Amino acid sequence: MLLKLSLTGIKGRLKDYLVLFSGLIMASAIFYMFEALAINKSFITSNSPVSMAGFVFQIGSVLLGIITLVYIIYANNFLMSMRRRDYGMFMMLGAKGRKIAQLIAAETLVIGTAATLIGTALGVGLTQIVSNLLLSQMDIQIEHFSPFYLPAVLVTLIFFIVLFIIAAVVNQFQLLKTPVLQLLRDDQQPNRVSQNKLGRIGQIIFGLLFLVVGYYMMIKVATFQMMGLVVALVTIVLGTYFLFNAFFGWVITLLKQNSKIRNRGLNNFTLAQLSFRIKDYTKMLALVAILFALALGAITVGIGYQSEIPEMAETMAPYDVVLNQPNQEALRLTKDLKGVKATANYDVKEDAKAVYYRATQLKKTPIMAVQLSEGSGVVRAKGVKPVTLSAIQAGDTSALQAIQVPSQFSKTVKVVSDATFNQVAGAATQIKTYRVKDFATNLAIIKKLHAQQVIANPELAKGDGAAMDRSKYANYKLANSMFSGLEFMGFFLGIAFLAMLASCLMFKILSGAASDVKRYTMLAKIGTRRKLLQQSIAKEIGVLFLLPGIVGIIHVLFGLQLFKTIMINPYHDLWIPFSIFIVLYAIYYVLTTWLYKGIVLKEVK
Amino acid sequence: MDTPTVVSVKDVKKTYGKPNEKQYTALKGVTFDVKQGEFVGIMGASGSGKSTLLNILSTLDQPTAGQVKINGQAINGLKGNELADFRAKEIGFMFQDFNLLENLTAYENMALPLTLQNVGGKKVRDLVTSIAKTLSIDSLLNKYPTELSGGQKQRVSAARALVHNPAILFGDEPTGALDSKSAKELLDTMAQLNEEQRVSILLVTHDPFSASYCQRILFIKDGQIGQELVHGDKSREAFYQDILDTLGTFNH
Repeated sequence: MLLKLSLTGIKGRLKDYLVLFSGLIMASAIFYMFEALAINKSFITSNSPVSMAGFVFQIGSVLLGIITLVYIIYANNFLMSMRRRDYGMFMMLGAKGRKIAQLIAAETLVIGTAATLIGTALGVGLTQIVSNLLLSQMDIQIEHFSPFYLPAVLVTLIFFIVLFIIAAVVNQFQLLKTPVLQLLRDDQQPNRVSQNKLGRIGQIIFGLLFLVVGYYMMIKVATFQMMGLVVALVTIVLGTYFLFNAFFGWVITLLKQNSKIRNRGLNNFTLAQLSFRIKDYTKMLALVAILFALALGAITVGIGYQSEIPEMAETMAPYDVVLNQPNQEALRLTKDLKGVKATANYDVKEDAKAVYYRATQLKKTPIMAVQLSEGSGVVRAKGVKPVTLSAIQAGDTSALQAIQVPSQFSKTVKVVSDATFNQVAGAATQIKTYRVKDFATNLAIIKKLHAQQVIANPELAKGDGAAMDRSKYANYKLANSMFSGLEFMGFFLGIAFLAMLASCLMFKILSGAASDVKRYTMLAKIGTRRKLLQQSIAKEIGVLFLLPGIVGIIHVLFGLQLFKTIMINPYHDLWIPFSIFIVLYAIYYVLTTWLYKGIVLKEVK
Repeated sequence: MDTPTVVSVKDVKKTYGKPNEKQYTALKGVTFDVKQGEFVGIMGASGSGKSTLLNILSTLDQPTAGQVKINGQAINGLKGNELADFRAKEIGFMFQDFNLLENLTAYENMALPLTLQNVGGKKVRDLVTSIAKTLSIDSLLNKYPTELSGGQKQRVSAARALVHNPAILFGDEPTGALDSKSAKELLDTMAQLNEEQRVSILLVTHDPFSASYCQRILFIKDGQIGQELVHGDKSREAFYQDILDTLGTFNH
């Protein structure tokens, strides 16, 4: 009988349960998605040149585990807030405590297990989609990665089911300890924490101080090393917390004191809602801000490596294409190169000991060399500069390697007059060099040209010859294979974190919605336009999304300093990861607002 | 001189349920007027239709047939924003459970109907302080509802209902959640407002004591007005006795 009652209770709140259920499914799907990558040791070791990657993923796992735990707690609160009244009624009708306990356990576990199973299945699909998307978008090569990974499935199932068992026990305990009367009339009141002015000012000062110290440690990571990282982690987390606990509350109080703002429409109500929310949400918002920074940072670094690869290749080779003994096919292909800035032709003859070049040609179109940046940090290419004929004649022949095939590297370079050149035995071979405006846009053609080069110079395909290939394309390929694993991880990590933190925020907001229904209904009754109510909701939720977003972005901007030692330019094309991230985040905002309105704004005829 | 009518109800009917299903008629043609400055009570047992009537009067529900005019304006055709604005300007509400917003101070709660109409800052302050003085709650303005007693809350609620000077004040069992002392104080205040400030009040109640403060009482039973009782020159105690007598016979 009770089971039947319980089922009808669920039916009546089908919409709320759908929100809960889909949230849990998403949580487990994201968790799986992450684990599929994180615990796949062969993938991590084979795709990362950095030994730290495994460690990074372990930290990521722990963080995601913690936030999942928080998420489940919120989801569980949401579930219980829906059921408290019903359980109270059952008890009043004379149901025994044990029976109720069984019901709670059954409900929590059934919902949890079903959601986890569906979520894991969905996670496999999601992993497939995301990895395909990344692979097709980025000219990436990764190995040892498959969307379905059994250990990850097991970890996800066990982790979630254990969490739900804990949740069920906590629920039983809490419910059975609460007096029936309180269950029946559970009028929630917003908890108003009064804060003294001095404490608040202290917190603001401390918060800002902590952040400044943290940022400084990140900027000066080269000096402070590991110690700086640890200090930054602690101070930034604390600083963010104090900031949300005191600073934003203070800003809202200031806004409330401005009578121009206060006396318009529902502003006063919106601000009041916010100031209560922010106190209630302090930990949550601080967590979201930190995770936001981590997620955005991961994506930014991921994309950063993407743009790093051509730059890296840039430092290794002055020419985009060098054709040694070009064949017909290669010459035809060069016509498709876009934005050619400069080309040059050189004749070469060689014997067993020496390579001969025409002085006239080297004078007319000097050989180019990469000009490297000076100073600390990662070496980057500033551009190319011509190498004078006299420098080569003085013995500085290393620049010529850019147009040589590997077997010529060890031979003596001889720059001779046209007459002498003609007298050297053997036929002259031709070399053509090309520099284009943008290596990346010509990549497809350059790849084909390189294939033709390998056909024309078979030594490039074999052993040492392949390793010593000086062409830009070969360097690009090398950098690509080194970094694409990292890039993939960055993206994956970023998206998983984002999905999780935004779901978490969404849930926290939605679980408070039930207690807001009365307020919005009352406002409608005293004659508030529906549009005004919608605006108020949009503003309120908007601020809750915006604040951690802004703080997160500031964290990232400073955090990227960390990568200055291992990347050429971590701030390159920042708008790309930022816009991807902000669009995804905005979608979550719209979804949350929409769901919230659905719960709160009842149709008043 | 004719006193203007603030509420005019003409042959209002309300039927619940779709035409092809089993229908229930809550109001079977109700007609009455409330003149400006009147203090009218509506009494009836549970299920008599008094809540339905109040919902229709306060524009929260639409009648199936008939017409309701408030301050000369028909409310049947109003929709969406017009309806919201009409409520915000012409109607004041007092609810049994106060319905104050717990996250706003008493002052902010009272100012709400004014800020909804974007009234300027200084005017808001003047209006709120003056109504707060009238209701003797001017010392409580910076308190939150949780710090107030039931009686104080209901006074704040009354102030909020009156601050924008509505055409009519609707009370839905406003004393229902109060102890007898607070209830009496509130009713005295309401009567005083009615006499001194000429506030028109329509009070829905099933408490004879509350009703005894009214000038005129309409008894509603099974969706129709069955009887009317006028206070006249009688003392309140005598009127109270009249009400009890009427209830004794009327409900059966």
